[in-house]
Amino acid sequence: MEAGASYQRFPKVKVRELKDDYLKFELRDTDASVANALRRVMIAEVPTIAIDLVEIEVNSSVLNDEFIAHRLGLIPLTSERAMSMRFSRDCDACDGDGQCEFCSVEFHLRAKCMTDQTLDVTSKDLISSDHTVVPVDFSDALGGDDSSEQKGITIVKLRRGQELRLRAIARKGIGKDHAKWSPAATVTFMYEPEIHINEDLMETLSLEQRQSWVESSPTKVFEMDPNTEQVVVIDPEAYTYDDEVIKKAEAMGKPGLVEIYAKEDSFIFTVESTGAIKSSQLVVNAIEVLKQKLDAVRLSEDTVEADDQFGELGAHMRGG
Amino acid sequence: MEHTSFGDQRNATFSFAEEDHTLANALRFSLNQDPQVIFCGYSIPHPTKAQVNVRVQTTDKEARVILKDACQGLMQMCQHIRGTFDKVVNDFRTKNPSGNHPSQDMDSD
Repeated sequence: MEAGASYQRFPKVKVRELKDDYLKFELRDTDASVANALRRVMIAEVPTIAIDLVEIEVNSSVLNDEFIAHRLGLIPLTSERAMSMRFSRDCDACDGDGQCEFCSVEFHLRAKCMTDQTLDVTSKDLISSDHTVVPVDFSDALGGDDSSEQKGITIVKLRRGQELRLRAIARKGIGKDHAKWSPAATVTFMYEPEIHINEDLMETLSLEQRQSWVESSPTKVFEMDPNTEQVVVIDPEAYTYDDEVIKKAEAMGKPGLVEIYAKEDSFIFTVESTGAIKSSQLVVNAIEVLKQKLDAVRLSEDTVEADDQFGELGAHMRGG
Repeated sequence: MEHTSFGDQRNATFSFAEEDHTLANALRFSLNQDPQVIFCGYSIPHPTKAQVNVRVQTTDKEARVILKDACQGLMQMCQHIRGTFDKVVNDFRTKNPSGNHPSQDMDSD
C-alpha cells in the first residue's frame, strides 16, 4: 500500500441538517464516482424489512387479494434489525417459508366492520410478532394534533359486514429486487457551485438592468442590496445550473458578467428516508454495504482464477 | 466474482458477477488515479445480466495486485468517511439536541 498513500484522498463531511427522516450534508475532497456509489447504494442496496408473503384467510373487502398484498408490501417497517438479519434465501435455520426468527417476522391482521360507519383498516392494525419490527409511525413527522386520533397508512376501507383476516411474513430485502425494500424516499447530490460576479462589468449596468438580470434567474440566487445597490449572491446552492443568468448577461451584451463553476470535488447530499431506517443510519449502512462489496472483490480474487467459468469471455479474449 | 487472465499478468480483465456501476465506476476511478495503471475501463456486457467486466493494464506490477490495492484504498476511504460521519453526526446532535426530535421542532415553531 505504499504506492496507495500518495494519491489517496480522505474526504471531509459536514452535517447541515439532521432529522430522523431527513439529512443534508456536505461531502468534500472526493470524486463523483464515490458520491454516486454512495447514492446508488442508499437507494438500491441498503437492506430493509418489508412484507413479502401474504396468506389471506378471509377477504370480503372491495379490493382483491393481490391488491391488498401489494399494498402491505409497500408499508415501511422499522428496519434497524435488517443489517444483522439474514436473507431468507441464505437462511439455513429454516426451509425458506419464512417462519424463523433469523430471517422473517410474522404479522397478523384481523378486522371486521360491525357498524354502519366505514372502518379504515390501517397499518396500525398490523400486529407484529417482533416489537422491533413494526409499521413506521408517522404521527411525529407529520406534526398532527395530539388530540386527533393517530392514523396509520390506510390499507383498505370496510363497510358493514366486510372482513379482512390475514397472516403476513416480512423478510429482509434490497431495493434492487423490489422498490418496497428501498429505505430511501429520495437521495440526491449536487456539485457545490462557485459563483463569481465580475464587479467591474456589473458597475457598467444601470439599476434597472441589474434588477432585470437578478430576476432572470428562475431560482433566488442573487439579490440587489437595497442600500448599496450592489448585486450580491445570497444563495449559491439555489442555482440549478440552468445557465439563465449567463444567457441573460450575453443578451444584455455583457458576456462574462458572471462565471459559475461546479466544484467537482464537493457534493451536497440530501437524504430522505421512508422511516424504515433513520437518515443518519442509512448513510452509515450504505458505507458498510459498499465496504462489504469491496471486501467481496478482494477476497474472491485471492481464491478464484477461473477461465473455464467464463469460457465465453476467455475465448473472446484469446481470439481478439 | 471471478477473475480471468492469461499470459501477461500485467493485463487482465476481471469479471464481477452481481455488480454494477455502483462498484465498477468507483473502482475504475480509483484505479485511474494510480500512476502504475496504464489503462482501466469497465463495461456492462448486457443490461439484463448482472455482470461487469473491469479491464486493468499496468506498467509492471500484476494487474490483480493493483486491483486489490485499489479496493484497499477505497475501503480505507469508506472507513474514513464512516469515522468522520459518525463524529460529525454526534457533534451535531450534542449541539442541536432538538434536531432529532421533529415534534419538538414543531412546538418551537
